Amino acid sequence: MLFLQLLLQGLQTGALYALTAAGFALIFGATRIFHFAHGATFAIAGYVFLYFWNAGQPWPGALAAIAAAVVFGLGMERFVYRPIQRHEGSFFTVFVAAFGVAVVVQNLIGMIAGRGFASVDTPLSMANEVLPDVFLAPIFWIAIAVAIVLFVALSAFLTRTHAGVGLRALAQNPDLLRAYGLSSNRLSMLAFALGSAMAAPAAILTAMTTGLNEAVGHHVMLISMAATIVGGVGSLRGAALAGLMLGVAESVALQFVDTQWAEGVSFLVLFAFIIFRPSGIFGVAQTR
Amino acid sequence: MTPIAIEALGLSAGYGGREVLQDVSLTLRAGEILCMIGHNGAGKSTLLRVLFGLHRPSAGNVRIFGDTLPGFTPAALGAAGVALVPEGRGVFPDLTVEEIFGLALWSAGVPKSGQRERIDEVLEVLPRIKEFRTRRAGTLSGGQQQMVSIGRALLTRPKVLLLDEPSIGLAPKLFQDLIRPIAALRESRGMSILLVEQNVREAFAVSDRVLVMRSGKFIFEGAPAELDHARLMELF
Repeated sequence: MLFLQLLLQGLQTGALYALTAAGFALIFGATRIFHFAHGATFAIAGYVFLYFWNAGQPWPGALAAIAAAVVFGLGMERFVYRPIQRHEGSFFTVFVAAFGVAVVVQNLIGMIAGRGFASVDTPLSMANEVLPDVFLAPIFWIAIAVAIVLFVALSAFLTRTHAGVGLRALAQNPDLLRAYGLSSNRLSMLAFALGSAMAAPAAILTAMTTGLNEAVGHHVMLISMAATIVGGVGSLRGAALAGLMLGVAESVALQFVDTQWAEGVSFLVLFAFIIFRPSGIFGVAQTR
Repeated sequence: MTPIAIEALGLSAGYGGREVLQDVSLTLRAGEILCMIGHNGAGKSTLLRVLFGLHRPSAGNVRIFGDTLPGFTPAALGAAGVALVPEGRGVFPDLTVEEIFGLALWSAGVPKSGQRERIDEVLEVLPRIKEFRTRRAGTLSGGQQQMVSIGRALLTRPKVLLLDEPSIGLAPKLFQDLIRPIAALRESRGMSILLVEQNVREAFAVSDRVLVMRSGKFIFEGAPAELDHARLMELF
């Protein structure tokens, strides 16, 4: 029964990883910008929600968290990445700039909200015995449902709306998009807005389950990055599936290793993919 | 007097300090097919990119139907009735033909109610597109991709079509089949076409006037008939 318990917990964690990873993969896939500050988006959204929750305003808090995530993502696109790209900055320049912003955000959160874990106390995270020795909290179902609904909605957006098709076109050839008379800058902003918004529900649900600390963004970012590579760079469903898989792997590993080593399991999975299937689950193998 | 579709005066442009276009002036009359030929690297594609707002000139200006557009961007030019079919296969390989057409209609701001009519118009000119409209562009042959690229541009009902080497990679017969119905649009819609082409024989057959470019300057302007084989060899 311990295995089943860990598996279910892993699915919950994985659903949240999947949401965050899908957001990162959407941004990276469409714009080819390695948005390392995506983890900072997650942390900002989580702490904004926490602030409103403590003020007794959970629903406005959820909306404010989404808004904060979108504003931060758009700010990064407009004021950090676009100027770097305008001056033909390298991938490394983008990475260092994003990493720098992520560190600043982490420190600011520590200064404002204090260091250490913070979480919200809600009956939704109270576990009930659903099978002998298997406990599940209502938040489990909420996490799974939110992940499924958002992923289906995002997939529908990308295939059934002109803006969504535009994002897929942006991923393939931004120059050609301009020849079609479309603005690659606007579509890039849309990718950042949507990708950042995806991190907010995951951050809110994390605040309601395992809790947040000022460094949560780094952990989330590493998982998103690993999920993007394991899923196949450029594949949204790959990133989501890999996020889910990594969450389950981390959780099930607890049967064999201590908690502090569980994160390492994600990276073992990542290394295994890099060695045996570098193109990822849904990626296309590159041939010379 | 025939109205002027595009009037470019004293255009200069380049990349990283290297000047590719040097004080180039060009006039494209309404309803005219103007063919531009020249060696690779002569500046033909750069000129088209400048005319469609994809590359900023270092000097000169362009008027579209007598107006200087305030923002000389692809979107503004599209709204003014200019469309570009870029060099290479101007399609997104992972999108279906229908999705590509949808993007074009979206970019042109065509309301849903008018989209069916626009697509039917294009299918009338390029009927073979019907056979593969649900397929991903990347799975199509070169000729089919070029058809989609041109069809995409025609969806915007352009008054001016800028075509950059549509014959690349196509058999001469295929190019004929592609260019003739497009050229016929000059008669039916009064569309102007600026055609950059290496396939001289086929291009001259449909053109009213020819420009020869070398090292960023025009070195010949005249009727296709003035350019016999010997003269062409001399200019090249």
